[in-house]
Amino acid sequence: MKWMTTCKETTELASRAMDEHLPFADRVALKLHLAMCKNCARFAQQLQEMRLQFRSETVADDDTPGLAQEARQRIANKLQNKPNS
Amino acid sequence: MNTLDAQTWLDDHGDYLFRVARRQLHSDELAEDAVQETLLAALTAQARYSGDASPRTWLTGILKHKIVDQIRRSVREVEIPRDHEGMEAVDSLFKQDGHWAEPVRPWGDPHSEAELSQLRRTLDLCADRLKPSMAQVFSLREVGGMETEEICKELGITPTNCWVLLHRARLFMRQCLELNGFSKAGAA
Repeated sequence: MKWMTTCKETTELASRAMDEHLPFADRVALKLHLAMCKNCARFAQQLQEMRLQFRSETVADDDTPGLAQEARQRIANKLQNKPNS
Repeated sequence: MNTLDAQTWLDDHGDYLFRVARRQLHSDELAEDAVQETLLAALTAQARYSGDASPRTWLTGILKHKIVDQIRRSVREVEIPRDHEGMEAVDSLFKQDGHWAEPVRPWGDPHSEAELSQLRRTLDLCADRLKPSMAQVFSLREVGGMETEEICKELGITPTNCWVLLHRARLFMRQCLELNGFSKAGAA
């Protein structure tokens, strides 16, 4: 791994860093690039933010659609018909 | 009495469970299946429910497993692309020399609950638009919190394929958020 990575390569490293512990040289290259490049630093930060939002608890009363009436009925029927084991 | 409880769970927590499932499965149908399987499983397992956790927490725990099951099942039906699909989309974000083609704009700080819910809605919307192979790997990793090693094994893909799919998915997600106006205008 060369020490000076391009932005494109840096996004690969930043993405991989979200998933595993990078080898030392990659870690240094990533840090170095992020320290100098505002765009990539924002990208890396947004990956963290994305994860934070996706892993946060779904809000119970948020306004996305819940179960449709028909779906609810289908499930209720299934529950009714389940033989008691 | 059993079915009565399950009916109460459905009434009280059905919408919540559905929303949680919908966010990870990107499909109303699959989310409905996951909720149904969760309640059926809960019915069978209710003897083991100690009452320490709230019913919602308990049901959500079961749901998590059902969601992963659904994703696994749907993965078998979708071809994981091993070719260069999505490569051009990635290339278009960068100049020839590897620099960003466009500046990366900050998202701004979502302080209020409204801004936060706007961000989440847009994230969900964008995740729904990911190509199926990317959506599955991305959801298992980012929403489900599975380790990449586990994901590779489940999907039968190499770690390299996994990283490539995740990298593309993340670039796409960021791009999609920006295109949907989730960036501070003029702050580049």
